[in-house]
This record gives sequence, C-alpha cells and structure tokens, in this order.
Amino acid sequence: MKLKQYISLYAKEAASVMRNEYRAIFTDGGVMLILIFAIFIYSTLYGLAYGNQVLRNVPIGVIDNSKTSSSRALIDSFNAGPNAYVAYEAADMEEAKKLFYDRDIYGIVYIPSDYEKQLVGGLQAHVSLYCDASYFLMYRQVFQEIVGTLTQTGAMVEFQRLVAQGINIPQAQAVTQPVIYQSHNLFNPYLGYGTFVMPAIIMAIIQQTLLIGIGMIGGTWHEFDLYRKLTPVGEERMSTIPVVLGKTLTYMSICAVTTAYILTIHYHLYKYPMNGHPMTIIGLMLPYLLACIFLGITVSTLFTRRENSILWLLWSSIPLLLLSGVSYPGDAMPQWLFGIGNIFPSSHAINAFIRVQDMGAGFEDILPEITALWRLAVIYGGTALIAMHLTLNKELRLRIKNKVVKTVAIRKQTKRATR
Amino acid sequence: MRTFIHNTYAVFRRELSRIIDKKIYLVMMFGLPLVSFVFFSFIFKNSIDSLPIAVLDQDNTPLSRQLTSMIDETASALVAYEIQDMEEGMQLMREGKIYAILQIPAFFEKDVNGNTQTHIEFYNSGCNITVNGLLEKDVQTVVKTFSTGIQLKLLGAKGLTARQAMAQAMPISFERHILFNPYINYSYYLAPSFLAMMLLIFSVLTTVYAIGTELKFSTAKEWLDTGGGSILAALTGKMLPITISMFAMTLVMHWIVFDILGAPMNGSSAMLIISGLVFILSYQAIGIFAITVFDNLRLALSFGGGYSVLAFTFSGLTFPTMAMYMGIQIFSYVFPFTFYMRIYVDIAMRGAPIAYALPDLGYMMLFQVLAIAVIPRLRRLCLDKKYWGKL
Repeated sequence: MKLKQYISLYAKEAASVMRNEYRAIFTDGGVMLILIFAIFIYSTLYGLAYGNQVLRNVPIGVIDNSKTSSSRALIDSFNAGPNAYVAYEAADMEEAKKLFYDRDIYGIVYIPSDYEKQLVGGLQAHVSLYCDASYFLMYRQVFQEIVGTLTQTGAMVEFQRLVAQGINIPQAQAVTQPVIYQSHNLFNPYLGYGTFVMPAIIMAIIQQTLLIGIGMIGGTWHEFDLYRKLTPVGEERMSTIPVVLGKTLTYMSICAVTTAYILTIHYHLYKYPMNGHPMTIIGLMLPYLLACIFLGITVSTLFTRRENSILWLLWSSIPLLLLSGVSYPGDAMPQWLFGIGNIFPSSHAINAFIRVQDMGAGFEDILPEITALWRLAVIYGGTALIAMHLTLNKELRLRIKNKVVKTVAIRKQTKRATR
Repeated sequence: MRTFIHNTYAVFRRELSRIIDKKIYLVMMFGLPLVSFVFFSFIFKNSIDSLPIAVLDQDNTPLSRQLTSMIDETASALVAYEIQDMEEGMQLMREGKIYAILQIPAFFEKDVNGNTQTHIEFYNSGCNITVNGLLEKDVQTVVKTFSTGIQLKLLGAKGLTARQAMAQAMPISFERHILFNPYINYSYYLAPSFLAMMLLIFSVLTTVYAIGTELKFSTAKEWLDTGGGSILAALTGKMLPITISMFAMTLVMHWIVFDILGAPMNGSSAMLIISGLVFILSYQAIGIFAITVFDNLRLALSFGGGYSVLAFTFSGLTFPTMAMYMGIQIFSYVFPFTFYMRIYVDIAMRGAPIAYALPDLGYMMLFQVLAIAVIPRLRRLCLDKKYWGKL
C-alpha cells in the first residue's frame, strides 16, 4: 500500500516537472535556439558547406621552357584528369610566384628546355613541381594529378622505347611496370568530405546542444526558484528521483524528434551513406542519449544562472570533436588525453556511428562502444541523482535561512513599530 | 577629447571592479582560453603515425614479406594484423581496429622473378579522409619504389649500366618541391586555426556578456552615467579590458604555434600581430551587434555562440571554399575568421609580402560597421527601463 502511494506521488511529481520543463523550454528563445533549432540549422548549414563533397579542377600553372610537341602533350595530359587543370602558362618563376600569391594557382610545373631532347635521346628528362601544402586538400588533389600524369607519361615513353628495341609487348609491359598498384577506397569511394565529417559533427552537435540546453534550464530552475514552486503541498522539498526522471523524459522526447529528423530526412536529403540496420542505430542512440542527458543534468546543477552554461560549455565542442579522433586520429594524440576523451559519450558514439552508417557494422561490431555508453549512462545517472539530491538539499537550506532572516527582520520591524 | 578620455577611463575602472567581482569574467578572459590552448598544444604535439593496417599475404614468400616490412617501416602505416582472407579484414575494419588492407596475390614472387606483370591491391577505408590520404601516399610510394627496384634489376640483367637503367626506368624524373609547409604537417595550420577559434568564441561571448548583464541586472543607466552620458565613452571603456586580454591571448597563441609547435613563420610578425588585434576587434563588434539587436542576454549569447562555432567550416581551411556552392562561398564572408586565416596562410606559411594581406585586413575592419550602426540603439537600451531586467 505504501509503495503504491509512493509510486503515484512520484508519478505526479515527475509529471509536474515535465510540464514545467516544457514550459521553461518553449517560452525561452535562447533555450529553443540551442536545444531544438540548433540541430536543424547546423545540420543544414554544414551539409550545404560540404555539399559538393569533392574538390575538383584546382587551377595550376605551367612554365614551359621546352615549347615542343612533347611538352604540349604533357600539359594536355594534366588537363585530362578531373582534379587539376592548367589555368595559366607563366613565362618564368617570378610570374608564377605572383599568380601563386594571388591565389590564382595552387601548384606549378616547370618543364625544362631540354625536355624533348632528353626524351628522344633515350635519356632522362627532369621536371620540377611546386605544390602548395598550405591547404591540404588542394595539395593532395594537385599532387596526385601531376605525379600520376608524369608517371604515366614516363611509363608510355619507356614502353615505346622497349618495343622499339624489339621486345614483345607483354615483356615490355612487365619491364615497364613489374608491379601494378591498385588502390580501392572503401565505403566512401569518391572520398566525399561531407560523408567523412558529417556523421561526427552530427553526433557532437547532439551531445553539445543537450549539455548546453539542459544547463540553461538548470539555471532557470535556480533563477525562477522552481525548486520551491514545484514542491508538492505538505512536503518540505521535492524528491530527487521524480525530478531526474521528469527531466530525462522531457529531453528524451525532444531528442526523439530531432534525432529522428537527422537520421531520416537529413540523411536522405544529403545522400549520406545509411548502411546501418535501424535496430543497431537505435541500440546505439538509446544509451548515447541517456548518457548525454544524465551528464547534462549533472552539470546543470552547477549553474545558478541561465547564461552560465553556454559560457562554460560552448568552446568544448571543437576539443570534443578532436578527442573522438575523427579529424585527427586518436592514435596520434597522447594516451592520457585519449583516455580523458573516453569520459565523454561523444567519443564512443562518433566512432561507432561512423562504422554503423558507413561500413554497415552490426550490433556485435560496436559492442565495445555500446557497453561503454551504457556504463557512462549508469555512472552519469548516478551522478545526476546525487547532484540533484544535494542541490535540492542546498535549496532547502537556503530557503530556511532566508525565512529565518526574513522573520527576524519582520520581528525587528514589529518591535520598532511597537516602541 | 579630454572629457572623453576621462569618461572612458572612469568606465574602464568600473569595468575592472566588475571583472574582479564576478569570477566568470576572469574564467572567460583568461581561464578557459588558456585551458583550451593547453589542450590543443598537447593534441598537436605528436604527428600522425603508426596507423594500424592488415596484410593479406597470399604469396608468403621472402619477397612478399620484404614488401610487407617495407610498408611497416613507413611513417604512417603499421602492419598490425596478418589475415587469412578478406572477410577477416573487413571484420577488423567494422570493429574499428584497422584502416586498410594490403593484398599481395599468390605467385607474387614467381611472377616478379619470371618477368611477368603482377599487382598489389590496397583496400583503403574512405571513412577518414585524413588517414586515407596519409596511408595512400606512403603505400603508393613504397610499391612504386619496390616496382622501380625490380625494373632496375631487370634492366641491369639486360646489361645496362645503372645510369642507363635509371634513364630507361624513369624517362621523366621529377623533383618535388613542397612550398610553404615542407613537412606536410597537418598540425601547422590546424593548430593556429583552432586556437583562433577559441579566441573568437570567447571574444564574442565575453562582449555579449559584459553588455548583456548591464541590461539583465538593470545597471545600464549607471554604466552610461559613469561614461558621462556618452555611449561612445561607455562602450570604449567597457570593451577595452576585453580587447586587452584577448589581444594578450593572441600573443600567447603565437608563442604556442611558432615556438612550442614549431610552425614556420615566413613573413612579417608585425603584420600578423596587427591582424590579430583587428580580428579580436571585429568579433567584439559582432558581439556588440548581437546584444544590441536582441536586447536579451540569453538570446544574444545563443545566437553569438551559435554563429561563432560555424566559422571554422566556412573558412575553407579543411574543405576549400573553392569547392563550395556559390551561395555558400558568399556566406563564408560573414565570418572575420575567414579573412584572418587567409592572412595567416599568406603571411606565416607562404611568406607573402604584406601587400597581399592588406585587402583581407581591410575586409576585417569593415565589421566595425556592425557596431557603429547599432550604437544609437544601444544608447536607447541604456536609457529605457523597458529593456532591463529581462531574466
């Protein structure tokens, strides 16, 4: 009988917490912007920024001192590839350098005057290439294109020379290229940039908006004195469990909408790989969201003002993205730093999510991450309960103190009045 | 003019006592920027190496093992697994244990010795483009070197001298010069950009906070009065401590990037330092704009913060602006960060003459228009009670 009473009391309290939580969120533009709209805005803007996925047609410059049919053929073959094209033919290095500083070209090929003579004479021609490594993707595209073209042209010359010497074709092939190197890019065949970074960004946004948003509402509770206002009649203070439960359910319901949008409509619109089984994704998202929300509730008890959470937490988005090892692989960072990264849900979720969506990894493949996330969910669930319990006690003490101060003041006043 | 300086100084002093009063100010102006700097210094201290890959050696001969160990010796790759079939490799990949699989086919050694063309297959995961690029570069180089070695041996057997053989094997040799970032070090441009991101985030947030709290706690009138009723003096005095602290942070940033991480500095330091100051000022202007337009501390913080973190992507440092849609290319100009990083690349990495960086510096200065445009409204906010005390 007593248990039943407790349950109904708790359910009532949790329901009132939820009602207030929704009201606090939906009447506050700042909170709505972070907690709800941010995920739509960011996913759209980032998606558009990486919309083209691959960098093509990087302009390069050529200094052709040979000016022969052989050098013309070489220049034409630079243009044949998709990644770079010859935008300028500079007269000398000075002119090329100027084009370079003006950001008109991102690489320079220098063809010496004896180019054709050396080739025809069966000797070695020397070509110089200057690549700009200040932008990485540009460097990669330009370098690949030029080196690939030079190697191919070289192999052709060699092959022709061998055949001219009377060697049969398969033999000549084997001498020209004893080992063919073939490279296959798996899961992201065209190396799309959006496909690479978006899964990580999306998962990081989910965590960060939750932490900041929940933190803002934590400040609202303090500033609006909701700890007192929501206390059931006849009780001294609210009970810990219903508060945490009510908050968790509120944020879970909001996440259900936002993540559903991301994982279905957004993914579909931007055509990111969706190789994961829906059940695997749900199996991953559930502990992830719980861990994030519990961490959020824990941290939110520290904020006494609504603006504090964004001030304290916003900057951490970029470090957290790095800690997950996405743009800078985890193997490269100090072990202890990688260890610190593991206390954040995002580190596990990002790695698992990429493998699920891109590679079609199944539940068993990401079991270590899912286990880690459940572990975090349990730990942060515990810290959320403890932190909320302490906060409720503190608020109660504060209220009693204020009351005492007030009654003392009133007593003093009445004393003065009677005098 | 003298009264202006006097008034500004009065506000400046008032601001200092506010800063000492509220610890969050110090946290934003010094604490968190420094913490984040330390974090990034550690992250970028190491270079990327020893990325685990698997080898599927179907030949299992001295020659195939030689190729495997050549790949293992490269800077980026580490042969962590020897697998029996492709499925095993794919499984390791799905478990996140390896980034790539190298396949050496059966009869590899026999074909090479028998003067028959053979092949090497490299299955490289595209999920992480950075890792993909590093592995691709190293493995390709090794296989090419290996292949050239075999060629030279074959040609030598035909009686050619080493020089002749070389000319025959590589009719076109190329000398590669990597401009401006000779070690192709990923962290040389990632580190400064992330540190600058931190600076701009804290510049915007602190600016919004400094003005927003005057509104929230209804002290706006008092602030204006301290400035002798001059909004310009009030604003200057208020911004000055933030400008000073953030500018000091840019100097710390230079120290970390150039001295600790050892990034190259090929141009004018003075130009970069001045750009750092203009960079900070432009983000303060954006902060002033946000809080004045929204006249609500929280909304302005959410907007300012949300806007701040976008800058990195749109600067084109990782995914070049050139490859973005036209509309997005234009959009990338609403972030002073874009111009600041262009200046950084021009000056520090490329060693370009100052003249090439001046236009970008000018564009960055244009952001001051945002602050100037809203000054009349800011004055109204300070005088009209109805804008105050919004919780």
